[in-house]
Amino acid sequence: MEWQAIWLSLRLSFWTTLILLAVGLPAAHWLTFSPRRWKFLVEAVVALPVVLPPTVLGFYILMAIGPHSPAGKLYAALTGGMLPFSFQGLLVASVLYSLPFAVQPFVAGFAAVDRKLIEASWCLGVSRASTFFRVIVPLSVPGIVTGMILSFAHTLGEFGVVLMVGGNLAGVTRTVSIAIYDDVQALDYSAALHTSLLLLGISFLVLAATYALRRRVWAVWLPYGQ
Amino acid sequence: MANELNVDIRKWHADGPAIAAALLVPLGRHSVTVLFGPSGAGKTTVLRAIAGLDRPDAGVIVCGSEVWYDGGRGIHLPPQKRRVGYLSQEYAVFPHLTVRHNVAYGARGDSVDNLLARFDLASLADRHARHLSGGELQRVALARALASQPRLLLLDEPLSALDAPTRLRMRADLRQLLAGVQIPAVVVTHDRTEALALGDSIAIMIGGKLRQAGPIESVFDAPANADVAEAVGVETICQARVLDASAGLVTVEIGRVRLAAVDAGGPFTDVFACIRAETVTIERGPSPGPTSARNHLQARIVSVTDEGPVARVVLDCGFRLTAIVTRQSEEELQLREGEHVIAVIKATTIRLVPRG
Repeated sequence: MEWQAIWLSLRLSFWTTLILLAVGLPAAHWLTFSPRRWKFLVEAVVALPVVLPPTVLGFYILMAIGPHSPAGKLYAALTGGMLPFSFQGLLVASVLYSLPFAVQPFVAGFAAVDRKLIEASWCLGVSRASTFFRVIVPLSVPGIVTGMILSFAHTLGEFGVVLMVGGNLAGVTRTVSIAIYDDVQALDYSAALHTSLLLLGISFLVLAATYALRRRVWAVWLPYGQ
Repeated sequence: MANELNVDIRKWHADGPAIAAALLVPLGRHSVTVLFGPSGAGKTTVLRAIAGLDRPDAGVIVCGSEVWYDGGRGIHLPPQKRRVGYLSQEYAVFPHLTVRHNVAYGARGDSVDNLLARFDLASLADRHARHLSGGELQRVALARALASQPRLLLLDEPLSALDAPTRLRMRADLRQLLAGVQIPAVVVTHDRTEALALGDSIAIMIGGKLRQAGPIESVFDAPANADVAEAVGVETICQARVLDASAGLVTVEIGRVRLAAVDAGGPFTDVFACIRAETVTIERGPSPGPTSARNHLQARIVSVTDEGPVARVVLDCGFRLTAIVTRQSEEELQLREGEHVIAVIKATTIRLVPRG
């Protein structure tokens, strides 16, 4: 069993999910409530990772964060390190790669909040930002949790992007899916089988949890259900 | 100008009629202005514009000395800065909060416990909003709005989301609540009875335009044009007092005239008596014999107006009463201005609307 790779994947998924929560909530808020006509363009950009081959996405990210790119230079100036083939670089790639899997459920959650409740809050003198945290977020908990679970699961299973951006450095960028690929390349089918099975189990559990949440099986645990 | 809300706005719609409304609402004291009209007349749009939830295309909204909206100068104050209590049709009580947290949500000062007690919500304080009935939700929404100490209350169809028995009860309660809080209110409704029961003054909106505004009786009694007349219904509406009730029949007093009417169903003293012009019969001279009608009133004809096959006869029988008769009857009875006749009104055709 590839414990080191599993641990790395879990860490990557955890941080990716956390960053996506911080980035995705404001982005989803803007997408849901902005009156801008051109926001469909932003929606399309956010959704790109769903349809783009991971290698294409990984290639562009590699270019964008490379040592000669503005982002890469800035990062080097700030930290002295390089983004490609590092855990941090992998994190950047994962965040972009899983963005739609967080933002889309967030948007669905926000859109389901009765507009009248939001307006009632405004009329009671509560600012837009405060209304977001006191009304919109509590009433979107299922959507937000779904988005987090999907981001976590999606990051856990990524392969193409990781390979392009992170390479295969044990303990740094060697994630579960790459470990499995390596095992198969080395004809170590038994190791690949065990790791795959574990990934399958985790993925199933995560998705089962998501669907259970949608069917409000957990309504008892989540008092803020819609 | 100083102490009133001055609304004069226009809004153009891609679908539906353009909105044009001019309205004055006195501030600083209790008054209920009813915005009345058929569904789709644009009443809610006007209310939302006052609340700051919709932006008009042109015009002004000035509250006292504060400009809330000025199309020309590009001023549009957000709802947070207007301090109005806005109640939408379904009350919009936060389902994830308890009754107490709802009322405390936008509260200024520490009036929450007082309001819970006053609105009879103390026993429900820890209940989640989604377990409440329609009438309870309405009380929560009102208490929540009042907790933010608004200068003005805006109520959009406050009774329409309730079931019929609750609606009847809340109609009387609501007027008393509004009278008790000493905050001016604008109430949107399409229900004539509700308008009569709640309003002091009324503004009639039809097809997006505000057609007529004024004290409620004068608008109902003297509609400015045929559209308004159709919207309000052509009726005699008089303030009346209930004197006594027995066997389902009540005696009401309009000025010094007493009328028999059917019980409005409640311990009310102040009512509006509504009499449809079509149900008033005019007789000449002494009554031809016993009839089933309970009310025979000495009346003088104030005016007779021909309206196609019918004539509208305005009578003075201690109060103004409008009757509609056929042109044939008008000829046979020789109805002329100044003549004395007898107006006959069946007790069952007088509708009493409680005024709390």
